[in-house]
Amino acid sequence: MTTLTREPAHATATPARGNPLTGTRGLIRFILRRDRIKLPAWLLGITIFVFYYGAALPQLYQTPDDLRVVSQFTEGAVGALLSGPGYGLDNPTIESVIVGVYGLYFLLAVALMNILLVARHTRVEEQTGRAELVRASVVGRHAQLSATLIVALAANVGLSLLIAGAMAGADLDTSDALLFGAGVGAVGLAFAGVTALTVQVTEYSRAASGLAGAALGAAYVIRAAGDMITEGGSALSWFSPLAWSQQTRAYVDGRWWPLALSVGFAAAAAAAGYLLSGRRDVGAGLVAARRGHPEAAPWLRTPVALGFRLQRASLIGWGSALVALGAVYGGITKPIVDSYEDLPEEMVDVLGGDPTRMLDGYVSTMGLFDAILVGVFVILGVQTLRGEETRGRVEPVLATATSRWAWFGGYLGVLAAGAVGLLLLVGLAIGTATAISVGDAGYVLDTTASHLVYAPALLVILAIAALLFGFLPSATGATWAVLGFGMIIGFFGPIMDLPQWVHNLSPLEHVSRLPLDDLAWTPLVVLTVIAAGLAGAGLAGFRRRDLDTK
Amino acid sequence: MTAAIATSGLVKTFGSTRALDGLDLTVQAGEVHGFLGPNGAGKSTTIRVLLGLLRASSGRANLLGGDPWRDAVALHRRLAYVPGDVELWPNLTGGEAIDLLGRLRGGLNQARRAELVERFDLDPRKKGRTYSKGNRQKVAIVAALASDAELLLLDEPTAGLDPLMEVVFQDVINQMKAEGRTVLLSSHILAQVEKLADKISIIRLGKVVQSGTLTEMRHLTRTTIEADTTSPATGLDRLPGVHNLEAGDGRVRFAVDGQHLDGAVKALSQFGIRSLTSHPPTLEELMLRHYGDELAAAGNGAAGDSKDDGDNR
Repeated sequence: MTTLTREPAHATATPARGNPLTGTRGLIRFILRRDRIKLPAWLLGITIFVFYYGAALPQLYQTPDDLRVVSQFTEGAVGALLSGPGYGLDNPTIESVIVGVYGLYFLLAVALMNILLVARHTRVEEQTGRAELVRASVVGRHAQLSATLIVALAANVGLSLLIAGAMAGADLDTSDALLFGAGVGAVGLAFAGVTALTVQVTEYSRAASGLAGAALGAAYVIRAAGDMITEGGSALSWFSPLAWSQQTRAYVDGRWWPLALSVGFAAAAAAAGYLLSGRRDVGAGLVAARRGHPEAAPWLRTPVALGFRLQRASLIGWGSALVALGAVYGGITKPIVDSYEDLPEEMVDVLGGDPTRMLDGYVSTMGLFDAILVGVFVILGVQTLRGEETRGRVEPVLATATSRWAWFGGYLGVLAAGAVGLLLLVGLAIGTATAISVGDAGYVLDTTASHLVYAPALLVILAIAALLFGFLPSATGATWAVLGFGMIIGFFGPIMDLPQWVHNLSPLEHVSRLPLDDLAWTPLVVLTVIAAGLAGAGLAGFRRRDLDTK
Repeated sequence: MTAAIATSGLVKTFGSTRALDGLDLTVQAGEVHGFLGPNGAGKSTTIRVLLGLLRASSGRANLLGGDPWRDAVALHRRLAYVPGDVELWPNLTGGEAIDLLGRLRGGLNQARRAELVERFDLDPRKKGRTYSKGNRQKVAIVAALASDAELLLLDEPTAGLDPLMEVVFQDVINQMKAEGRTVLLSSHILAQVEKLADKISIIRLGKVVQSGTLTEMRHLTRTTIEADTTSPATGLDRLPGVHNLEAGDGRVRFAVDGQHLDGAVKALSQFGIRSLTSHPPTLEELMLRHYGDELAAAGNGAAGDSKDDGDNR
């Protein structure tokens, strides 16, 4: 590998006194060396999906009519929520389905890649103190940020070319391949820029990548709301960097100019990052760390209280995000349902099969969507718990008069209550906004119920994570597969023609879609019992195993 | 005296690694027991087994009359623990962490908490993620020592503390000792154990290789003598138990085994002693005796390798 060969040390140390970029070249090599596995894995991992869709879609949908079915599903509000503005899906080709239906996931993946890449080589380095070592040598003030951004730029350009090449390699139409690839790369650049800014703000890498992640979430919500209002996107959509790439209309009516917005945005954000980084000390943030209480609050005295304290910030964050999302998605119910008037038959099937009750169909779909989001909270919560163990913070707690049962059980209780509370909160938010939007107060209760009904299914997902934590702690993350499967079956199951038993594998499939269906209590009771059994087994497993210590 | 800690034939394996290989350790109630060994010898593993965080693969362990795995919760009310590498919750302040850990154990002595925070010069208002290693260590020390626990398990507690704080720590441990508490103090900082410990166990490769009071151990080892004599000291090399003799210019220096010290000093006095210094064996020397073969092996190995390389070329 060329990155392994090093120039003699003096080459990078040639005196350019006062130059803030001194050492950038050396640091670029260093970053490439450190990421020699990670970066190619991200790039190839994203690219391989072009081959996957290019090979799978023609198999799945052999006639243009089949393809129309899938593309019809992604029209209207659900399509706008999950995919984008939906250009070219009235007359779909394999290429336009890849771009219009699955393209958004390329955009999300590349945004995530850039957020992690930039945070990893800037704020993480500072937080761990490694940046101090680097900056103490002949390295300019802006070298680290510049090297990181140059690598990000190269990675995004490379990814654009790889995706275009993959479209050609998968025997697809190449007319707009480069435009699609460039669209993906442009989102990457935009979020590299955003992260270059957020890493200046806080001292903590997780807060920095969290801020950039929140920006990505906001971009998603704005885009989805904008796209739901009008097919093809409304003015609101254009406030989101994700929309700029989607608005290139690749494979429909390709145009390059929206990408200029992405590049301009990335440059502006990065410039702001440089400006801020010049005004702060190494290791410091712009926002100083706050001081806290010298003593613990009186209630902080039990394992449950500790679990709550550790999840409090996360609960507040999720709660506010879900309420905001609920208000947006509920508030636009009226225009969405109005747009359903001439919905294709298959879409009606997905939304419950009753064209006279499309609003109820929308409400039940939002219930599933929000349940999946709360599922993300649940799994992240158990992974936090695993982090507590591997980072050595559980050891001093279990060395007190706290039983493993109380510690683990208390924490699971906090997560379970948190999940139910979040469902209630987002249900109420969407319900209230929907009721105002359509002028029917009954939807407050209906929508809340359509969310709360998912609680037992989420408890099963929590219990699966608990079971893994008890017996195979390093595999706790495998719970993501259950949630991902539930999402695919939940949204795309109706058009995938799978046997019923495959549907039954997902806990989310056993939940009545309220208010469309009648509430079936039996599955909810069964799910709750299963959850209790799995969680109990997980607890028993944890009581028997060694603690993972540092 | 009753034993606060007693293990016999304790074995703990991780896969094919035998972290503890038949460990026998006895700590009497009321004593400060130094637990010495290099990194990776099994000190932390032993303490974690005693805390019921790890389950022994075989062998017996008795802690305060109970089984550390089965009776963990009941036993933990009576003990406090300081880990060697303290991790704090990033968004809890040091003060909150101290109170939380104390309360989870069943309460802590507020007056002592305040005194310790003051003595260790700890700012309890800072968030966990902003503490340096030494300050994280202080948080764990205050949380443990502010309790009324009868047994303290301290795993390299002062790693990262500055010398001033080290002195405060020794002072506090002596206070604990005066109150009759039992302390198991693991360390590779030998001077610290030397100052505090009544008894010492040396652990190596998962086994206790030697255990006893410092005096007993010193008796087993050599004292170094340096003297100026009026006439050149001769014939000392023929005395039993004398090693590493260096003589010349009216000065003599040698090491002598504990049981032959009397004879050597008597012999030396015949040559007219003008000045005499003697060094008791330091714990470094005690340790070196137990790890000496290892060090020698490593040293010889390295030398042998380079020699081989030379031969090959």
